Amino acid sequence: MVEFNDVSVTYSSGVDALNHVSLKINDGDFAFVVGSSGAGKSTLIKLILKEIDATEGTVTVNGFNLKKLKRRKIPNLRRTLGIVFQDFRLIPTMTVYENVAFVLRVIDAPKKYIRSRVPYVISLVGLAHKAKAYPEELSGGEQQRVALARALVNDPQLIIADEPTGNIDPALSYEIVELLKGINECGTTILMVTHEHDIVRHFGGRIININAGSIAFDETIGGANEAQ
Amino acid sequence: MKLSSFNYLVGKGITSIWKNKMMSFASFCIMLVSLLMVGLSVLASVNINKIISGIEGKNEVIVIIKDDSTDEAIKALETSIKQIKNVDKAVFYSKEEAWKSMIDDMSKEEQELFQYTDGDNPLPDTYKVSVKDIEKMEDTTNRMSTLEGVDSVKASNEFADVLISVRNIFSVIALAVVIALIIVCLVIISNTTRTSVFARRKEINIMKYVGATNKFIKIPFQIEGTIVGIVAAVAAFILTMFVYRGAASLIQDNYQILTILGVDSLYSFKDIVIPVGVAYLIAGAVIGAIGTTISTSKYVKV
Repeated sequence: MVEFNDVSVTYSSGVDALNHVSLKINDGDFAFVVGSSGAGKSTLIKLILKEIDATEGTVTVNGFNLKKLKRRKIPNLRRTLGIVFQDFRLIPTMTVYENVAFVLRVIDAPKKYIRSRVPYVISLVGLAHKAKAYPEELSGGEQQRVALARALVNDPQLIIADEPTGNIDPALSYEIVELLKGINECGTTILMVTHEHDIVRHFGGRIININAGSIAFDETIGGANEAQ
Repeated sequence: MKLSSFNYLVGKGITSIWKNKMMSFASFCIMLVSLLMVGLSVLASVNINKIISGIEGKNEVIVIIKDDSTDEAIKALETSIKQIKNVDKAVFYSKEEAWKSMIDDMSKEEQELFQYTDGDNPLPDTYKVSVKDIEKMEDTTNRMSTLEGVDSVKASNEFADVLISVRNIFSVIALAVVIALIIVCLVIISNTTRTSVFARRKEINIMKYVGATNKFIKIPFQIEGTIVGIVAAVAAFILTMFVYRGAASLIQDNYQILTILGVDSLYSFKDIVIPVGVAYLIAGAVIGAIGTTISTSKYVKV
C-alpha cells in the first residue's frame, strides 16, 4: 500500500515539484499515473523509492514510514518493490538468467530457491528460450520483459513501472501492459507512470493525473478493451 | 551474509577483473609503480639509518688513566666504567700498545727519529669506550671523568651532535617522504578505481534499486582492488629484489668509504626478504582495498 499524506516537495533550486498531495493506492490496485513533463510524476516515484525526502507531509510505502526510515534500512524498503524503467536498466555483462537471479542474490535467497524461481519467472514473461542471451542480443520488447521478470522475481508487494513502454514499439507496448495486468490479477499492486494516452484509454482503470505538482484528476474509468 | 553469497561476491570480484581488464591493468601498473616508490624509499631510509648507526658506533670515547695508577686500580676503573648504563663496551689499551701503534703508523724517517727515545714512553694507558646511545654522550663522559683514577676523558661531543642532527633530520625527511608517497598512491589509486567504478555506475545504480546494501555493492570492488593490489605487490617485490641487489653491489663496489667507516654491511636482501615480502603484500592488499573503498563511497550511497 502507498499513502501520501499532504506531501509537498520543494527542491533546493526552489522549484515546487509537489504541492500538498494526498493519495492512497491500496493493495491489489492497478493505477496509471499520467501528466505532462515536469508535472511531478518522477518526483512521486523518487519519493516512493526514497531517493528524495518529502519537504512536508508523510509517505508510507508497504508499511514503511519513509520519514522515519533510516538510510541503512532503505534496502529493506526496496526489496518489497519491483521497478521497471523506461530504459530497461539491465546489467549488460549479465545474461537474462543472471540479471533476474541477481535480485535474489542481493536478498541472500537460498541457491535452491534461485534455481527454481528464476526459470519460472523468465518463462512467465515468455523468454525461457533466451535465458542465456545477453541484453544486447534482445529486442527492446524482450529487454523490457526481462526487466519485468526482474521486478517480479522477488514477489514484491508493489511494482512501479516508470514509462515501461516509452522505448518499445507500440504493438509490443500493449503486450507489456497485458503482462502487468496479469501480474496485478495475481495480487501485486501496480503503479504505472505513462504519457501514452492510447494505452490508458485502451486498458482503463484508475487514472491519477498530476498537473503542476497537484492531483488534477483521480478516478476509475472503463477501458476500450472492456467495452469491446 | 551467507557463505554462498560471500562466495558469489568473491567470484564477482575475480571475474570483473577479467571483464574490465583494461582498467584492471591500469590499476595494476599504477599500484606497481606506487608500491615500488614507497618500498624503495623505505629500503633506502632503512639502509641510511644503518650507515648512520654504524658511524655512531665508531664514535669512541677515550678515557685517559692517571699515570701512577696501579694494575688493581686500572682493573677497578674498568668495572666502574662498565657500571655506567650507557656504556656498551670498554677495551683497555696499554701505553705500550699505543706506542707501538704510533710507531707503526710513522714513516721510516720518523721511526728512525724516535728509536733513540730509550724506551721513555710518554703515552698514557687508556680505555676505549663505546656508548650505546650517542645522544647521552655528554652525560656519560661527564660521569666517567669523575671516576677514581681517571686523568681526563676525550670525546668528540661536537661530532656526536652533528651525527645526532643528521640522523634526526634524515628520519624526519624519510618519514615525510614515505607518508607523502603513501598519500599520493592512495589518491592515484582511488582516482584510477573511481574511473572503473564510474564506468559501472549504471550497474551500481541498478543494484541499489533492487535493494542491495552498500556492503553487497562494495565487496566485489574491494575484492577486485585487493587482488590487483596483491598481484602488484608480488610484481613490486620481484622488481625490488633485482633493483636492490644491483644497487647494493654497485654501492659497495664503488663507495669504499663505507668499508673504511666499518659500515660495509648494507642489509643483504636475503636478511630482509621476509619483512619486505610481508610488508609489500599487506601494503598492496590494504592500499587496494582502501583505494576502492574511497572511490566507491560516492556512488554507493543508497
